[in-house]
This record gives sequence, C-alpha cells and structure tokens, in this order.
Amino acid sequence: MIIFASCIILFLIGLYAIVTKRNLIKIAIGFALIEYSVNLLFALIGFRRDALAPIITQLNVPHKFVDPIPQALVLTAIVIALGTTALMLTVILRIYNRYKTFDIAEIKKLRG
Amino acid sequence: MKGMSLIVKTITNIIIGFIFIYGLYIILHGHLTPGGGFAGGVIIAGAFVVRFLAFGSEMSSEKKLSKTASVFESIGGLLFIGIAILGLFLAGTFFLNFLPKGTPLHLWSAGIIPFCNIAIGIKVGAGLFSIFLALAAIKYVMEE
Repeated sequence: MIIFASCIILFLIGLYAIVTKRNLIKIAIGFALIEYSVNLLFALIGFRRDALAPIITQLNVPHKFVDPIPQALVLTAIVIALGTTALMLTVILRIYNRYKTFDIAEIKKLRG
Repeated sequence: MKGMSLIVKTITNIIIGFIFIYGLYIILHGHLTPGGGFAGGVIIAGAFVVRFLAFGSEMSSEKKLSKTASVFESIGGLLFIGIAILGLFLAGTFFLNFLPKGTPLHLWSAGIIPFCNIAIGIKVGAGLFSIFLALAAIKYVMEE
C-alpha cells in the first residue's frame, strides 16, 4: 500500500515541475518523471507473494510466478515515452535556436 | 564535430568491440533470458554513439552517417514484415510460427522468434543512432 502511495507522490512531484518551473528543460524533466511513475505503478500491480521472476530456466516448472503481462505492456510504454521525449527535445532545440533563451516568460512574440 | 585526444581514441577502439558483442548476445538470447530486440538494439546504438563522440567527423561526415542509418532502419523494418508475410504464404496465417520449434531452453528453438528479435535489434539500433545525430551533431541553420 505504501509503495502505491509513493508512486503517486512521484507523479505529483513531476506535475509540480511541469506547472511551476520557468525553464523549458525542467518542464521536460517533469514529463519524464510522470512517465517513470506511471510505468512503475503498472509493473508493481502484478506482484504475487512468495513468487519468482517469470523466466523458465529448467524444465520442471516451479509453482508460482509473478504476473508477466503488466511487464510486457510496460516495455511498450517505455518505448513510447522514448519517442515522445525525443520529439519534445527537438522542439525545445528549435525554440532555442529562434529565441536564444529557455525562459518561457520571454517567448511570447508569435511571429508568422 | 571535433574528436577527442589520442588516449580516448585508443581506448574506444578496444572497447566498442566488446559493447557490440554484448548487445548481439542480448539480442540472440531474447527467447531464453530477459532482454530481446529492444534492449539489445539500445546497447548496439550505444556502441555507435561512443565511436562518434570519440572520433568526431574525421572518419565520415554527419550527412553520410545519417543516410546509412536510415538505410539500416528500413532494412530492419522490411525484414520484420517480410518474416510475417512469409508466414502468410508458406503456412496460411499471417505471422504464423512456421519454423520447427526444437527442444526448449536451447539456442535453436522457438521458431521465428530469434529472427524477429534480430530485425527489431537492427531497427532500434539504427533509429536511436539517427535520433542522437539529429539532436547533437547536425548543425542547424539560424533563421534571421
């Protein structure tokens, strides 16, 4: 129970970074924190007590394994997070080349 | 982009062989141990990134490297979809596991899964290297 609560606290820390900070790179780090916390919570849901990691290493199979399906879904989610982070950083680089600053309070001249 | 000093270049020449072999091991044993195509592809991209950081643009320019990475990424994607369509033509269902399954827990087992892992490893390695080149190495023209 305390583990799920700390995942939600990590989500709230990431949300605080997105909403409050003025530097664009710190906002990108907030997005990464949110993605980490959601992946961690989803992989922790499949935990079973007194069970082994879901890898078959011998032919007489032991009796209890941790649920492997959330782990497979989280692998896809990590790849998606990588793609969106790369795209976000490319847009931030273009903004820096245009306005020469990372501060969002000074990027307000929308030119055509 | 400039390269680094002679000591860094010598150590990089020794170490990228080991990193590449380790990534290839993770890809090929994807049906026996944790890892598989995506994790091994990331490690192989790491080997190429270290080589580019240590040698700079002296060996080959960024545009040529970017075109080569794009070709390899397309080869990986076409290989994966080719294996799936081969299942359709040879056995009747799309993506059917048509190779012999073999004995469990050996390296030659599990049908088409090792070949799919190799295709994913090639595509992910080339894709991550192109992302690194686009973000860090290619100079942007400033708009005035």
